[in-house]
Amino acid sequence: MPIDGLIVLDSTVTPVVQTAFRRFSPAYPLLHIDAYSAAAASARRVQDIDPVIYVPSFDPDEPSACCHIQHNGLTLLSPVSRDTDPLYAFAFLRTFVDILHEYFGDVTAPALKDHFDVVYQLLEETLDSGGHPLTTSPNALRDIVIPPSLLTKILSVAGVSGLSGPSTHGMGAFASPIPWRKAGVRYNSNEIYFDISETLKATVSKSGVVVDSTVLGKIDANSKLSGTPDLLLTLTNAQAMSNPSFHPCIRLNRFSQSKVLSFVPPDGHFTLMEYRYSPASAQAPPPTGTPLTAIAQNQSQVQVPFTLKAAMAVSEHGGTFDVSIASRLSARAIEDFVMELYLGEGATGASCTVGGGAEWGYIPARQVCPIGSRCYGI
Amino acid sequence: MSGQGQDAKFFTRGKIQEFRAELQAAETKDKKFTKRKIVLKKIVANITMGNDMSALFTDVVQCLGTPLLEIKKMVYLFLVYYGRAKAEQIHLVIPSFLQDCNDRNPLIRALAIRTMSYIPIPVVIDSLTDQLRHHLKDRDAYVRKTAAICVAKIYAADPRKAERHGFVELLRDLMVDSNATVVANAVAALSEIGDRPDGVIFKLNLTVANKLLTALGESSEWGQIYILDSLMRYVPESHADAELMGERVVQQLQHANSAVVLTTIKLLLYLMNYMDNRTLIDYICKKMGPPLVTMLSSGPEVQYVALRNILLIIQRRPAVLKNDVKVFFCKYNDPVYVKLAKLEIMYRLASEENVKEVLAELEEYASEVDIDFVRKSVRSIGRLAIKVEATADACIKSLLSLIDTKVTYVVQEAIIVTKDIFRRYPGKYEGIIPTLCENLDALDEPEAKAAMIWIIGQFANRIDNADELMDDLTYNFLEESTEVQLALVTAAVKLFIFKSSSDSVKALVHKVLKWTTEEVDNPDLRDRGFMYWRLLAINPGVAGEIVLAEKPPITTDADRMDRGALDQLLLHTGTLGSIYHKNPETFIRNAAGKALTDTPALNPHSRQVLVPIQRVQPPTGPVVVAGPGPIEPSASNKPPPPLPDEATSPGNLLDLDGEDGEDSVHGGDDDETEEDSKARPAASAAADPYASLDSAFGGYAVDGSRPAGTRRADEDPLF
Repeated sequence: MPIDGLIVLDSTVTPVVQTAFRRFSPAYPLLHIDAYSAAAASARRVQDIDPVIYVPSFDPDEPSACCHIQHNGLTLLSPVSRDTDPLYAFAFLRTFVDILHEYFGDVTAPALKDHFDVVYQLLEETLDSGGHPLTTSPNALRDIVIPPSLLTKILSVAGVSGLSGPSTHGMGAFASPIPWRKAGVRYNSNEIYFDISETLKATVSKSGVVVDSTVLGKIDANSKLSGTPDLLLTLTNAQAMSNPSFHPCIRLNRFSQSKVLSFVPPDGHFTLMEYRYSPASAQAPPPTGTPLTAIAQNQSQVQVPFTLKAAMAVSEHGGTFDVSIASRLSARAIEDFVMELYLGEGATGASCTVGGGAEWGYIPARQVCPIGSRCYGI
Repeated sequence: MSGQGQDAKFFTRGKIQEFRAELQAAETKDKKFTKRKIVLKKIVANITMGNDMSALFTDVVQCLGTPLLEIKKMVYLFLVYYGRAKAEQIHLVIPSFLQDCNDRNPLIRALAIRTMSYIPIPVVIDSLTDQLRHHLKDRDAYVRKTAAICVAKIYAADPRKAERHGFVELLRDLMVDSNATVVANAVAALSEIGDRPDGVIFKLNLTVANKLLTALGESSEWGQIYILDSLMRYVPESHADAELMGERVVQQLQHANSAVVLTTIKLLLYLMNYMDNRTLIDYICKKMGPPLVTMLSSGPEVQYVALRNILLIIQRRPAVLKNDVKVFFCKYNDPVYVKLAKLEIMYRLASEENVKEVLAELEEYASEVDIDFVRKSVRSIGRLAIKVEATADACIKSLLSLIDTKVTYVVQEAIIVTKDIFRRYPGKYEGIIPTLCENLDALDEPEAKAAMIWIIGQFANRIDNADELMDDLTYNFLEESTEVQLALVTAAVKLFIFKSSSDSVKALVHKVLKWTTEEVDNPDLRDRGFMYWRLLAINPGVAGEIVLAEKPPITTDADRMDRGALDQLLLHTGTLGSIYHKNPETFIRNAAGKALTDTPALNPHSRQVLVPIQRVQPPTGPVVVAGPGPIEPSASNKPPPPLPDEATSPGNLLDLDGEDGEDSVHGGDDDETEEDSKARPAASAAADPYASLDSAFGGYAVDGSRPAGTRRADEDPLF
């Protein structure tokens, strides 16, 4: 179930980097680029392009599909001609973007052109010409393709010169028994950082009732530990995390048995886990006789930390809106508050009066009116 | 890698001669090979821009001797691009290839065999086959895993040669390698070979499947996908095997990579067909829901794939997302394709318990700006009324208020669905007909117009001014679209049957029938005109009974997919097939079809609706190389094993001989026969047109030869 290759397009739909497409006629990548630009031209917004575009071919027997993602003004295409899982293509494209990010920081067309030789090496190592992803873990990749910025550092540390390459470690690439962690990492001070970020997504009905809400959490880590550390992370309230998904380094068996995170971390930045927050009350067994739907409703409902009231009036050439927001939190202030109002297609401008020392603006490209303040309500 | 960050300057169109001169100049006085490196970078940049650099072949190839990995990589990249086109010069490179194949550095060894495998020219493949055997046993895992993929490449270039050299067996040995990445790549290569129409059949037995499961935990995400996907090639022989494997796989649902999750779901859905333990099946279903929901918080492209698959999954396993309808509520900034997919799922998940919320949400959508989305929302309200009886009143109310908005496309959609509601609940909502009639002028689309005309015709006895309305509607009869004309003819006849005494109606129907039979070119329409005319001419009373005969009630079950087709499609969960809701072999050339394999463990219900695979066998026939362990017998030669169900066992004894004819006579007694024949696609009947004559020929027809692919279809209805 391999993919056919990868094409990176800049904002003018010109290819920046692409794989060789050895199995195909030279027209094959062009067909896909054309199909993409045709779809882009007919869609109203970039987001509205079908993510899997059907691409007819000269040979009616061999149609194919084009999966694409957007990143930073770049478009990454992945033609697929066999019955491949499109998610697989998407996952690869995202992974490739992540790798580029890891290597070059900002992933932009100029950045890719500046380091095209590294990009090509990366492509060669991450995707073989048959379309099988090879090595995508940044840890292992750094052994084979030397990141531009780390070059001097690695040279000085390992004393590498010329051909001897990374194999002078005496171990060689992939010597590490753990695919996500490279062997022989050494730091002067051993530390690991964790960032926990949670996002609340809620749909609120016109009358202010929360129709649906979920909190999605994510633990990002930055590991700077020597050797092969085996870590154990105990969570005080693991019950609050439902539906977790983990970095491959986590021992799933261990988690399902005792709710502790036991893992050998990769080196550098990685996402340890993602989860959905479920309030503790939901964990208590529901009283018998409660109808099923009631349980389902309780399970993931989280209170939205503010109340929102909106009144709108639409006239022929415009409209007025009056939105009032009040914090529900009594103890803490909400910080960095930004509200975005989507005014709908065809909106050309807005004029607002905002209270509470907030600022407002209007972004014509997205028909969005952001209103923000550093600190709101107490 | 000097001059970091300045490489953009290489993206200038260069002349072949200049590069050649520069390369030659670089041969002397090139300290640390920096000059060559720069020239090669320029050349690679030019390849990227689409300039043909193949003329530099001989010059570039000479750099291969340079003992610098970076230069080697660029030369190899050049070879990947132009090697195939330069078949007559490729022999220049072979010595370097062979030297690199035996280099001390594993990276170079791997690079050499990988590049060689990309150049499918006999000379290169020949020297690669000589080398590859050692690389498949290399002590470095990186080389082994690269070599595994190379086998698939050699196989693609020359299948028989790869088999002769025993590469497939070597790959098989790699499936039990100590390194998980090697295992995964071996599996990937075997799968690729197995998917070829002329490839070695790749099947797994329990021992190897268990080994692969062990390797699963240590693999990279891609490796896990390959391994999970290959486990679909394992056919459980007993409920316990399937259940055990399901339990071991289920924790992969917690993986961060959505492709791993979806592949796991595919595997679980497959294994569930072979399970018997109801609690476990329920447990797995429950476990599958949350990861699917999580995908909905990823990027829109992942959401799209997830939604298309959810649509399939919930049709087969409604338990998966039973209580989660709310997560499918649309967000204002969802792309349109996500919204439309969500709408469909909301409708499918709607039930008496949650219908209120769903309806409120749909009403909200009906006032959105996007026309497509609004139309589909309105239509969903109507379908909801048909699906959930308890909510019909509320739906009608909301449809009426939508009609009140007078927004043309909303009104038209509302009328189209109202027609279906009338058919679903006869005699319940006819009171709203006057409101509908008020909007007659707003209708400009054929479908809406036809629906309205149907309503007028059907209820002509309740609409006082039906004849006037019809008169207006037929004014432009000849310019209307066929769909509307057909509706008009029928409605006119119905009107006449209701109000046969009225002269104006008589004139109307005469006029319409005359137009249809004399001035219309469309044969369908003309035929219908003639039919009605004769009906009315011969016996208007009987005509009335025929035209206004009681209609079969409609349900929404019709838009559910056939169970057998669904089972088959779910084997492709996550793939392109599941996006288009079509089996891949119907739109991808050479794609191997998939079907559930019948074993004693297959649950009886799935067996009944089993759709056999229609794989076209290549004339030479596949070469079967045994996997480790016992060879699975090929499915098409094996008689179906007896059902676990007691009731059907008598029939079974007979089918072991495949005695079609005798059994179809007995078939009537079997409990399951009726259900079975309903579910069975027409294929089996078509495959054996003489089925009814069997008794006459004493089963003769059955012993005759027939396409291998359809044999199973014949055997199955016997249960």
